[in-house]
Amino acid sequence: MRSVTLNIRLFFQGALLSYVALFRWLSPMTYLASKVLMPLAQILFFSFLGMYATGQANASFYVIGNAIQLAAVSGIFGVTMSIGGDRWEGTLPYLFGTPANRMAMFVGRAFFHVLDGMVGVVLALMWGVLLLGLDLSHANPLALGLTILVATFSTSGMGLLLGCISLITLNVMFINNTVYFSLLVFSGANVPLSTLPAWMQSVAWALPLTRSIAAARQIIAGGSLAEVAPLLWMEVLIGAIYILAGYFLFRWFERQAKLRGTLDIF
Amino acid sequence: MAPLNAIEVRNLRRIYRTTIGVIRRRVKEVVAVDDISFDVAPGELFGLLGPNGAGKTTMVKMLTTLLIPSAGTARVLGFDVVDQADPIRPRIGFIFGGERGLYWRLSAIDNLRYFASLYHVEPEIARKRIPYLLELVRLDGRGQEKVEGYSRGMKQRLHVARTLLHDPELLFLDEPTIGLDPIGARELRQVIRNLQSEKKTILLTTHYMFEADALCERIAVIDHGRIVALDTPEGLKRHVRDLSVIELEVYGIPPELLDVLRALEVVEAVTVENRDQKQAVLVQSPGGSEAVPEILAALSGLRVGKVIVREPTLEDAYVRLVGGEVEP
Ligand SMILES: Nc1ncnc2c1ncn2[C@@H]1O[C@H](COP(=O)(O)OP(=O)(O)O)[C@@H](O)[C@H]1O
Ligand SMILES: [Mg+2]
Repeated sequence: MRSVTLNIRLFFQGALLSYVALFRWLSPMTYLASKVLMPLAQILFFSFLGMYATGQANASFYVIGNAIQLAAVSGIFGVTMSIGGDRWEGTLPYLFGTPANRMAMFVGRAFFHVLDGMVGVVLALMWGVLLLGLDLSHANPLALGLTILVATFSTSGMGLLLGCISLITLNVMFINNTVYFSLLVFSGANVPLSTLPAWMQSVAWALPLTRSIAAARQIIAGGSLAEVAPLLWMEVLIGAIYILAGYFLFRWFERQAKLRGTLDIF
Repeated sequence: MAPLNAIEVRNLRRIYRTTIGVIRRRVKEVVAVDDISFDVAPGELFGLLGPNGAGKTTMVKMLTTLLIPSAGTARVLGFDVVDQADPIRPRIGFIFGGERGLYWRLSAIDNLRYFASLYHVEPEIARKRIPYLLELVRLDGRGQEKVEGYSRGMKQRLHVARTLLHDPELLFLDEPTIGLDPIGARELRQVIRNLQSEKKTILLTTHYMFEADALCERIAVIDHGRIVALDTPEGLKRHVRDLSVIELEVYGIPPELLDVLRALEVVEAVTVENRDQKQAVLVQSPGGSEAVPEILAALSGLRVGKVIVREPTLEDAYVRLVGGEVEP
């Protein structure tokens, strides 16, 4: 029992501190700008491009797709920076020397980025309502909220895995950017999945976001929670698989570092 | 049953394998710790003294469960460092010299809070302990500031506070004063003395002889991964008591001449120190001033300035041990 409370505490402490660190790195103004302006730029860019290519009537397709996709900003960039930051700061030997539960230590880092990602998605949807005529009147608020939560959860799971990869390889930003831009296509945010070649569709269904975006489009068109539930459950499962893969990679990294003496060389 | 020794090291070895070259990959092996054995008693302040690359950090990493030994065994507080890492970790604290290893964007207090939770320190205890530790390492009043604004010495003292959060009985301090200015180093040594008086067992590594002398009860001098002497500071000084040091001021000296000196019967060890434009050749010799003529004769043709004959210091004992010319 004591160990459960200890680990819950460690989880939240890690969550809180990784978030405090983020805020002290970005000034409040920069943070706000990144939360408000960057989503606006992405939504405008892809929505107008999409409308130019396929017609005015399709605005909501792009607005919803990109708004949900924005969960990946916190989920991927935020979480990877939080984990990769330990390599920068040289804190890994000190972390690995503690008796702390590695799962609580590892997953705690993602927690606040999930909340932060949700805020980002909501703000992005608001831009859609204000500027691009997005109509949320048919959406079930609970279902939409759950979809946003699930989307940020699964992208944060992927962020944890990428964060671990960043412990091993050199260029975090390169990997993050590549993944982010790949998701723009593969998640179906900006192209209907059915227009993609078969192999790309297979990849798309193995990635986070794809199902959340599909679910969000259905909900905003008036679909019920029950209709999208299968999509959401699979999305949760995908997120969990990424977290577990990240966790095992993290443990593998710790073992290799102890064997090869590479803890502070990477 | 309390273990008799806080640390027991038996025939410990660590070999690093690195691959070099991109196209023709070759494996290079470095024996960083080579068959080392020693014990540290509870409450003792034990020093590992050696030049850069001697294997000190490698030794500390193995004892703190962060590196797997290639051969031999080590027990810390009675537990094996490989098979029983879990019970060791909450009972020890450690510092690797230098200012890295803290979250620079966080305040000192936030850093300490995070590590307190990593070490399972109850929040009520952490709340009391953090201000106490900040005071102990003389950072009181600065705890709210971000670590990135700290001086190097402050960061290294914060590391000391970090590693005391869970009140470990055994501390590993790997070159804790490295890179500090003399005042910063002195402040940190004072902190270490305070820990010693709290009856903590401490293993300290350093490459400063005077630091080991000032702090440690026993010193293991290591060089190229091996222990070349293990004694009290006084015992180490006895190694050179029979010697005198002859300092010769020169203006550039060819290496061949140093070898000529080393070959002399009356010479035990030779080192060269740069002093501004000049150099000082330090010759350790049992002959004292009587050896001076023979030494000067060996240097005939070389311009020699001042010549001083003096008693050996602890530094000379160290030079004799790790200087390379003399077998231990
Ligand atoms: N991770 C590593 N991989 C390869 N060689 C290493 C590694 N760490 C240390 N070494 C080598 O092992 C030797 C001992 O290093 P170290 O233990 O850091 O010595 P010290 O702390 O006494 O300066 C040195 O020759 C060093 O270059
Ligand atoms: Mg070292």
